[in-house]
Amino acid sequence: MGSKRLILPKPAMIIEKLGQPQSWIGELGIATAATGAVTAVSFLVAPLTGHVGIALLYLFLVVLAGLTFARWTVLFVASASALIWNILFIPPSFTIYIEKLEDAMLFAMFFVVAIALGHTTNKLRGSQLAQQQREQRTAALYELVRQAGLAHDIDTGLAAALALVEATFGVKAALLLRLKDHTLSRQTHAASSFEPRAIELAEKAFSGRDPIGRFTQTLPDADTMHLPLKGRSAIMGVLVILPAADKRFGASEKELIETFAVLIGTILERDHLLAALKHAEIVEASERLQRALLQSVSHELKTPLAAVQTGVETLTGAGSAGTNEESAVLEIQTALWRLDRVINNLLNMSRIESGVVQPMLDWCDIGELIENSIDLAGEVIKEHRISVDSDPTLPMVKLDQALVEQCLCNLLLNAAAWSESQSKITVSARLRANELLLMVQDEGKGIRLVELPRIFDTFYRGQAAKPGGTGLGLAIVDGFVRAHGGNVRAANREPKGAEFEIAIPVETLPATVMEKLA
Amino acid sequence: MSEKLTALVIDDEKQIRKLLRIILEDHDYRVLEAENGRQGLAELAQRKPDVVLLDLGLPEIDGLTVLKRLRDWSHVPVLVLSVRDGPADKVAALDAGADDYVTKPFAAVELTARLRAVQRRSQSVEDEPVFHFAHLTIDFTSHTVAVKGEEVKLTATEYALLKVLAQHAGKVVIHKHLLREVWGPNAEEQSQYLRVYVNHLRKKIELPGKNEKLLRTESGIGYRLILPTKQE
Repeated sequence: MGSKRLILPKPAMIIEKLGQPQSWIGELGIATAATGAVTAVSFLVAPLTGHVGIALLYLFLVVLAGLTFARWTVLFVASASALIWNILFIPPSFTIYIEKLEDAMLFAMFFVVAIALGHTTNKLRGSQLAQQQREQRTAALYELVRQAGLAHDIDTGLAAALALVEATFGVKAALLLRLKDHTLSRQTHAASSFEPRAIELAEKAFSGRDPIGRFTQTLPDADTMHLPLKGRSAIMGVLVILPAADKRFGASEKELIETFAVLIGTILERDHLLAALKHAEIVEASERLQRALLQSVSHELKTPLAAVQTGVETLTGAGSAGTNEESAVLEIQTALWRLDRVINNLLNMSRIESGVVQPMLDWCDIGELIENSIDLAGEVIKEHRISVDSDPTLPMVKLDQALVEQCLCNLLLNAAAWSESQSKITVSARLRANELLLMVQDEGKGIRLVELPRIFDTFYRGQAAKPGGTGLGLAIVDGFVRAHGGNVRAANREPKGAEFEIAIPVETLPATVMEKLA
Repeated sequence: MSEKLTALVIDDEKQIRKLLRIILEDHDYRVLEAENGRQGLAELAQRKPDVVLLDLGLPEIDGLTVLKRLRDWSHVPVLVLSVRDGPADKVAALDAGADDYVTKPFAAVELTARLRAVQRRSQSVEDEPVFHFAHLTIDFTSHTVAVKGEEVKLTATEYALLKVLAQHAGKVVIHKHLLREVWGPNAEEQSQYLRVYVNHLRKKIELPGKNEKLLRTESGIGYRLILPTKQE
């Protein structure tokens, strides 16, 4: 976005000109001096031009006055010029009396022309100023929207808005915002440039919805003006402005600052609604997650527990046959192993979600890593044909072996869960540039395209998943791989099956070092 | 061996203590129990057990602190019981003087095998000049190693590495310790040496086929020369 600096060229000055002139007497002084100066020049040139030429000089003065001064001053200059011209230059000099008829006509004409000229030029200037002021207001409002409304965060936006208010009106500004419990904060916003003292006035403006204090109908004796920041549905805070003691506010300025207050209120309200919306989304997502967690976890914990219970009952039950006992023990073992895996998954996931996973990088042999992962997957993949495709001359790589083994193990378990027993699962490893690529391919059903983007989500389980499983395995892979600064992707294979590829940026031990050590 | 060995269990979980008592008494240990670190240290000083089973997650004084205090004055073998956290806790415990660890939940077979290995510690190389198990024979006097009776050539470093592992047979040896013993104190961070040499060593002393593994990697912790279990 653009710079935060204000680009307005001193709007305060222009707005002031249209309001009541700041110093009436000063202007009159300048006008008198100018008239005096023209009179002096006229004395010098009168012998050459005669008194008629002098009239043109005075008319010129009236035009200039019309372009610069307020109406009454222009009238004063015009009358003064006519009188001075008459007294000093129209013969007989130094009298009001005019000798010739044509001079009297000239004097009358001069008077009328001067007044008309002064009036017309003055009006012209007025409309020009009004135009300029309108442009200025539009620019100020545009700037407010651009800088405050489109700012990245609300605090920057409010700071820009306050700076704009101060620059436009030449005042100090402070903000009091609405709190979460819908009362007005007593703490001014950080961007404020003064600490408002009359908090009760701000409170009144906040609850009463109308501006209060200086320049308003209510309590105009106060030092500060309090404008409620009206949003569409609520008052979002109060803008307090502190003008200099002799500052005057015209109707147009009042209107403009009230528009500012409404705009700031709208911006605040929009931000508030956005935050509320985001919060609602988070709450909904976490509720959904919690439901999924309860459903899948309670199921995943209770099933093996039930198996253990039944198994134990079989063992303790009177008169059970020997073969039954053996299979009961086996069932208990399987159930315990499954329980252990669920708990392990939950622990890993909570580590990932609380952001405490920090890979401890150390040199590691890729062949060994693959073997360990296969061991880790244990009985579950025994029914599948596991094929390892990894070059034994691959250099050592630096990674957290325990974490990556867990990832590869989870991918193996996933592959086994989605493919028929006796089908082949291939694990392969290779290096590409500075990345270690670990791939697990199966010959199973593959992944439905609509599910592809979600399979790494926490607790997400495929529509056609076999019973059992928490929907955490792949999420853990994703979490651990990300902790390494890598990524994992999934795709379908031709003619059937799925493949998962982990890519982790790694440091490799150069072959020369390996040889030197050997 | 007529005297029964005494094991001190320091764990705040009653159920675990009960379970350990069953397993240990089954293996002819006399069992002492302590439910916190202070009580454990007192028992240790008074009763002088032959082995300590120490839980790392104790209330008040945690297990690691108990271990450090205990090591100030005792060489009793310590087997640490830990829940499944990162390897960092285990390495810290091993570094502080624990002899080995088992992760809860553990199998009874695993626990007793570790206990046996931990108690072997007192035996030094001098006591046992020739070391053999499964297909491997190491003669510490002549510095020769044989696989299935056939001598294999090891480099000096490979031999040194195997020797350290064999001295701690059955127990995990942390990376730092191995590096210090074989390459000297300045090599403690040079774990790549270890990976390369373990690789070489494996090729020379392990027989092809999965079940013949001798050198087990404990990811993030160290290596373990696996003792054959009694049944084999």
